[in-house]
Amino acid sequence: MGRVMAEDAFEAVVGAHHAEIRRYLLRITARGSDADDLSQETFLRAFRAYRALPPGSNVRAWLFTIATNLGRNHFRSQGRRRRAYAAAAMEMRPEAPDRADGRVLADEARERLERVISGLPGKQRLAFIMRKMHELEYAEIGASLSCSEESARAHVFQALRKVRRSLDGHLPLGMESRS
Amino acid sequence: MSPQHPQCRAIEPDLLSVAAGEAGVTAAGRVDAHVASCGLCRDELARYRTLEGMMGTLRRAPLADDDATLARAQLGSRLADLRSRMVGFGIFPSPLGRILIGRSEQGVALVQYLPPDGPLSAHVRRLLGEDAVEDRAATEELRAELVEYLEGHRARLDWPLDLRRMRSDFQRRVLEATAALPYGAVTSYAGIAARIGAPSAVRPVAQALRWNPLPIVIPCHRVIGGSGALTGYAGRRVELKQRLLAVEGVKTVAARNDFKVDREAMYTMVTGESEYCVPTCGSLLSQSMSTLTLFGTREGAEAAGFAPCTSCRPDLHPLPA
Repeated sequence: MGRVMAEDAFEAVVGAHHAEIRRYLLRITARGSDADDLSQETFLRAFRAYRALPPGSNVRAWLFTIATNLGRNHFRSQGRRRRAYAAAAMEMRPEAPDRADGRVLADEARERLERVISGLPGKQRLAFIMRKMHELEYAEIGASLSCSEESARAHVFQALRKVRRSLDGHLPLGMESRS
Repeated sequence: MSPQHPQCRAIEPDLLSVAAGEAGVTAAGRVDAHVASCGLCRDELARYRTLEGMMGTLRRAPLADDDATLARAQLGSRLADLRSRMVGFGIFPSPLGRILIGRSEQGVALVQYLPPDGPLSAHVRRLLGEDAVEDRAATEELRAELVEYLEGHRARLDWPLDLRRMRSDFQRRVLEATAALPYGAVTSYAGIAARIGAPSAVRPVAQALRWNPLPIVIPCHRVIGGSGALTGYAGRRVELKQRLLAVEGVKTVAARNDFKVDREAMYTMVTGESEYCVPTCGSLLSQSMSTLTLFGTREGAEAAGFAPCTSCRPDLHPLPA
């Protein structure tokens, strides 16, 4: 029966994408327990809607859309708390002293980079994480954020500029990444 | 980059694209030409490239708390639970009008008579549950069997049932007793009350049957009033009850907005006995309707495993057809 087929197919969807969706949610919530809850919810919703998904759809992008919406609802209810955390985290950081050693500087910059990303405004942050951490296409990001491909790109670029500015003095020219 | 210079401002989005490796040939050419003559922007491009490199490192770096095992296991059991509750339903025409059949993994969960057209009522939606999906393939076999049944070509619907939509344990007992009524037989609401050991609960029995989620399959149409009147079915559609009984060989006569089973025209047995009688048999004297099961035909009684009474001999003196 078609029903059984659909369920087997969904098992494959869970197998292929659950770990990545949870990682995305972990990046945007920064809490393992939230990533657990929201990733489960993402796939329960997906299961309910899966039959209605047209064949040939981009399942991965569709899952990111569901996860993004859940994440945004989550922030709406948690918003104040999260902002308070972010502010506190920023304050606790002492200014980085100048280091001659490039590697230490790189670690310093990376930590700073993570903090800057977590402090970005909502849509920019989500767009930035989807693009730079999960390498989604701008059109897919636009679908997730209910905006155009162009707006998605603009969000990512705005985020990039902010990250760039906040790392001023931490981005030596030509310092290549270690990987 | 000089934030004041219009050329630098104009090239900046392309510069970001080039650093990210997303730029097309034209934009890349523009950026090359610009940075060849603008040292500030050349430095800026280098910084964005460094930044992209750092983000690549971050993307590949292990994350703290990146263990999906627990969430995956919990998801597995929640999906299994959701699947077992999830109803797939089909809607189709039948000799009794538009009918909906819904089934879950466990079995048939819902049968509903629908009005000739229009969307599903809130009531039916609620019965189906929020996770119901239209799935004609899942109900096609059931549909075919139901139509055979309604056309009189099939006496049993041996379907696995999902009884989790029962309102109470009482309702479950009423429906189980009702499900045990043989094809072609009728009994009274009081008869069902007696069968479940609650002889005074006649009205609650009627209520429980009113909310039967599986009419036809659980044959509440075989339960009638003590006077022989059919009394009610599927809201105000007692004519459906009459037609279902007619298919099974139970004759009724029209009576003031209702139909009535004529006890004098029915083979009769005391519930729990093994022999059936003609209604005038002396053994039936002083038996109230609540103790009786009535059959429209001898074939019905015998198919249900009962023998003709040895004193009134319905086999030798059958009722007029």
